[in-house]
Amino acid sequence: MKKLVALLICLMMLPILPAMAEEAEMLVVYAKVPADWTWPCVWAWSSDGTNAFAAWPGDQMEPDPANEGWYYIYLPAGMESVIINANDGGIQTDEVKIDKQSAWITVAEDKTAAVSFEAQTTGEVPAYTERYTVYAQVDASWENPGVWAWQHPSGKNAFAPWPGRTMKANANGWYSAKVPAWCNCVIINANGGAVQTADLKDLDPADLWITVAADGAVEVTYDDPTAPKAADITVYAKVPADWANPCLWAWEHPSGTNAFAGWPGEALTAGEDGWYAITVPGWINSVIINANEGSVQTTDLRVDAGKNLYVNVVSAEEATVAYEKPAE
Amino acid sequence: MRKILCILMVGILFLLTGCSGNTGNQGKKNGPVTITIWHDKEDAVIAVLQDAVKALEPDIMVAFEKKTGMTESLKLVGNDKNAAPDMYFFAHDKIGVYAEMGILTPITELLGENALAGYVPLTVKGATYKGRLYQVPLYFETLLFMYNKKYIAEKDVPATTEQLYAYMQRKTKYGHYGFVEQHSTPYYAAGWIHGFGGSLINDEGAPCLDSAEAKAALAYHKKFVDYMPGETEYATVNTLFTEGMAHATIAGPWFVPTVRAAGINVGIAPMPIVDETGLPLAPYSGIQGLHVLKVQAAQKRDAIVKVLETLMQPEVSVKLAKVSGCAPAVESCYTLEEVTADPLIMAMKQTAETAIPMPNIPEMDVMWTVAGNLLVNVNMSGQDIEPASAEAQKKALELIEAMK
Repeated sequence: MKKLVALLICLMMLPILPAMAEEAEMLVVYAKVPADWTWPCVWAWSSDGTNAFAAWPGDQMEPDPANEGWYYIYLPAGMESVIINANDGGIQTDEVKIDKQSAWITVAEDKTAAVSFEAQTTGEVPAYTERYTVYAQVDASWENPGVWAWQHPSGKNAFAPWPGRTMKANANGWYSAKVPAWCNCVIINANGGAVQTADLKDLDPADLWITVAADGAVEVTYDDPTAPKAADITVYAKVPADWANPCLWAWEHPSGTNAFAGWPGEALTAGEDGWYAITVPGWINSVIINANEGSVQTTDLRVDAGKNLYVNVVSAEEATVAYEKPAE
Repeated sequence: MRKILCILMVGILFLLTGCSGNTGNQGKKNGPVTITIWHDKEDAVIAVLQDAVKALEPDIMVAFEKKTGMTESLKLVGNDKNAAPDMYFFAHDKIGVYAEMGILTPITELLGENALAGYVPLTVKGATYKGRLYQVPLYFETLLFMYNKKYIAEKDVPATTEQLYAYMQRKTKYGHYGFVEQHSTPYYAAGWIHGFGGSLINDEGAPCLDSAEAKAALAYHKKFVDYMPGETEYATVNTLFTEGMAHATIAGPWFVPTVRAAGINVGIAPMPIVDETGLPLAPYSGIQGLHVLKVQAAQKRDAIVKVLETLMQPEVSVKLAKVSGCAPAVESCYTLEEVTADPLIMAMKQTAETAIPMPNIPEMDVMWTVAGNLLVNVNMSGQDIEPASAEAQKKALELIEAMK
């Protein structure tokens, strides 16, 4: 009898196994949460202190279209414990032991969690798909923005039907949604799909920030515009007597963005105290002082962004950088 | 009295051991011979060599000494039998300087005229100066075309420079770059000039910065530069690639471990073909190998030959390639599965068919700075190519003349 039960269990698992076998280095966690738990996430770790994600509340779960009310997420193999949370981490379960196995977790209204290591969903587990995040900041007239994503030229859609996946509202005023990495085109829409941007095509599978105006015009960047920006700084420099008309060349590493249009950069202004000075954007973190129309220069000097600089140039090979004015 | 004794003892010790550098016995007919090899390599590379020469013990003991500032030290003591090493292990590009100084022995005098039969032609070319062989190559490196498989499928890797340009036009947007390289660094830009049939300097030591080929390359290259960041120093380019902000780059094999550690699924592809010439971008190559100091060669000839022959074995070359991330210098290694199964090594072997060894002539020393300034003037300051090239050529000629 036991053998028969085991055989039956194996047969029941067959539809699930192929997809899971392909992801030998991963396990899948399913969760069913109360109705008022929005945008459920998983925080996962192993007993050696390894966390699956960089920061709380972890990574967002995907709804399984074949199993209403169930969300899933792939985790690195070796994860031993999870916490299911939602509402931007505002509500959560206690630790749920999964012991490096795929698991199905049902969360009750009182936040208690029941875990099963046997499939509680039907059909195949959706195959693992890398995803990137599309962020959108939309005009106030655009309500409940969503993202429509597809692959060109196959025309394969990520989220049928139109208007696609509703975006999550974040505390910083941006909305976000995860999109499969195979999508290279998106549209941001709102008001139930009544307003939309033009097609944004030929995108990289990388996190993307889209600012949408009322008329649907967009600004797009892969550089996080919500990251803190530094205020302007002043670069002071002292140079050898034979360094005429010193200039500053400055850029941001690693983007390679220059502060000035062309070499040798901008001239510094002579001050009464012997220090030349120039004001530049605070995001620069690399400078070269040069002179004599760029024919003499320091080496690349890596500096802290956002701080005034005092560069004392002794020679082309020797220069010191300080963040406070050196004593005379 | 004690002071006099001390001075005498120090003097005797000085005479017995030599003042520095080569502490091995110089002319002993019997007993163990010590061969000293200076190098600048990482421990893993030297461990392979050390392991190989163990078979020569106890008759021949080989001492590997890591030297900082080795190239300058060799200029100072290369002719001093008390201070010079017996050999040094370094890239080939200083051969001309040392050969002109008269401190190197041609390896054919030790190993015969066919010493490098069966070596990759690129490495033989690099080891040759004025028709004579001065190096036993062990392995070589070339720059490689690398791409991020997250962004570019293998079938879509640009095969020609025009395909690369179209890709850059299409994908350089929103803060990402289709392709980045150190566009204003001569070591990297030389590949483009070679792709137009030009060079920075010819075999006779004459600069070629104002040649039609070099100017055509600069003009053509500039349109690619326009789709790259303004600043492309080494760290910037590498970080753009490792952070996924650039789809493709040109870099050396030494960069691959860093790329992989950053989680990038990196692919290696052949250098694009320049549409206008039908030639591939042909980067410089560095050939690492052993060089024998003339001042020691006569007295320790037999031991030096045995050490060289031991280290020339293909299996040593394969082990070195694996720990250095470079490619073996011996052709027969490329029939071994452990080599053919390594895509990085095979990509370097393929690139070696068109790569150019870094010039090993003394005049090249001045070209790095002059060519670098020319590239900055054209690519970053927007100067016209004609006057900028003419000025750079004039400067290079002046500096070479001053060198003489």
